[in-house]
Amino acid sequence: MKQGFKLALAAAALATGVVAAPQTANAQEIQITGPLAGAPAVRKLRLYREGRAELAVGGGFTLLDEYQRTPFISGRLQYNIFDWLGVGVFGGFSPASLPTDLTEKIDSTAPRNSRTAVNLPGTGGPKFEEQTGKMGWMATPQVTFSPFRGKLALFQKLFVDTDLYVHGGVAFVGVKERGDCGGGGGQPACNTAAGFKTADRVAVAPSFGLGLTLYPSNFVSINFEYRAFPFSYNRGGFDSRGSGPDASFPDNKIDSEDRTFKFNQMMFVGVGFHLPTSPKISE
Amino acid sequence: MKHARRWLLLVAALWLLPQAALAQPKKPAGGNKPPPTAPAAGGDIEIDDPNAPAHEEQPAEPAPTPTEETGAGGGGICEIDPSACPKQGDIKKLADRQVAADVYAVQQIYALRRGRFEINPYWSQSLNDQFVGHPGPGLAVNYYLTNVLAVGVNGTYYQPFNSDADFNFENRRATRLAVPLNEYLGGYAVNFTYVPMYGKFSGFGNFIFHYDGYLVGGVGGLFTRPIAVIDPDNRKFDFEHRIAFNVGFGLRIFLNRWFSVIGEIRDYIYIEQLENTQVAATQAGQQDRNTWFGEKPLTNNVQAQIGISMFLPFSWEYRLPK
Repeated sequence: MKQGFKLALAAAALATGVVAAPQTANAQEIQITGPLAGAPAVRKLRLYREGRAELAVGGGFTLLDEYQRTPFISGRLQYNIFDWLGVGVFGGFSPASLPTDLTEKIDSTAPRNSRTAVNLPGTGGPKFEEQTGKMGWMATPQVTFSPFRGKLALFQKLFVDTDLYVHGGVAFVGVKERGDCGGGGGQPACNTAAGFKTADRVAVAPSFGLGLTLYPSNFVSINFEYRAFPFSYNRGGFDSRGSGPDASFPDNKIDSEDRTFKFNQMMFVGVGFHLPTSPKISE
Repeated sequence: MKHARRWLLLVAALWLLPQAALAQPKKPAGGNKPPPTAPAAGGDIEIDDPNAPAHEEQPAEPAPTPTEETGAGGGGICEIDPSACPKQGDIKKLADRQVAADVYAVQQIYALRRGRFEINPYWSQSLNDQFVGHPGPGLAVNYYLTNVLAVGVNGTYYQPFNSDADFNFENRRATRLAVPLNEYLGGYAVNFTYVPMYGKFSGFGNFIFHYDGYLVGGVGGLFTRPIAVIDPDNRKFDFEHRIAFNVGFGLRIFLNRWFSVIGEIRDYIYIEQLENTQVAATQAGQQDRNTWFGEKPLTNNVQAQIGISMFLPFSWEYRLPK
């Protein structure tokens, strides 16, 4: 009897739960009436990009560098098919690389002996800085997608039109890194002066990032841009891979196996000039 | 009876008092709208006059067509001096005239901050240390004294998340040169935040979201210690407090009036204590704590902080003119 009562109670609780369970939510479209019904979010928008070509020039610098900092003199040539979509080329070259503090310390204090002979030039040889990996130039065909347009107020006095964009493309980067050595077949030995010479190659990498454009006038813009272009190269000019388990131990040779992955990053600041000089204005 | 007279006077006085002020001037009914003042001949017509009717406004009832009975149609001055009446050409000219409308670029600040608390949990990531990563969770609490100025505190906990990059090992193996490394326990700071810029973005031309940019700066402390890299057999370091100044900037994107996503770059500037790169020649010297410490360089620990921000109370009333 007692058990029957419990069962009945449980059944009643279940039935109550089922009945009291929330119904399926129904969304209702809010019908906007009045003058704003069907109106676009923005009227009379200056279309700074649509149908215009842009030439931007400026400077860039790499971030989180280990052995060499690379400043770039950079530029971008772009044609904007729509206000939200453009195609173009970003590129630049580095007139000189700047050694980091670590590079200078290695050059001045690292021991030169049989353990380091493959990795560091001997006393009286070339400087360590010369064997480090450097980026000389870069060319990146890319697509720019600008979904966000707006304005910002500075100190509640100065109002500037802005847009926020993302870009993606393929970067071709001219890399100078330590050439192959110690591999036989006419290659120099790695512990000789000839073994520390560098060689050029072109690295291909994905390139992507985002940026902010400020339009102080119809013709000129100011641009801040972040770019990532990860690829592998031998930044220190070291023999660090090639033998042992997973080929993760030195093999007394310098070759492509010694290239290690680096998430290369750079910032670009530039001034853009737009043609035609006046933008279209939306309805 | 005397009291009754006083009460009557009081009621009359109250009745004569002005009514409660309305934030927006009450629009007169269309039919009772006073007719616009006709301009004098050759004079300017002040179309920016707030009391003037808008051009788009249509009268509630169509105006009667001018007839012989109504004279020139303007009535009043038009009957006395028809040359003073507006002509159709004047109206068109006025309609085409450029209006310097008194419209603010940003009509109202989307989220007022004055008198509100901001609670900002975040995740912090090292930006400028290629040798050791110092990520960690943190929390900031700010109180906005004005709409653009806040005072607050923040703290970050780093200890279990310090990470030694593979690059250190490979560099040590190749060059036999060790780079002194340090790790963090935690940090705190008292900060001022200044919000000089705000704005809005239209996304895909369909929706609008608001954002603001701010500068932050303050002073606090970091608990750091060297990681024993040069002589790990003998050296063991404890965390020590270092005074750290900080400056930074950030961007806050509002998802609604009390909830936002926040991104910030903050540079914590302090004097670090590094491990001595030289090892004493004797065992007694190696175990002497005074030989363990090396350079004390000025260090910039640049961190990217990404998080969410909640404003309390959730709502407020606008007290600023539109």
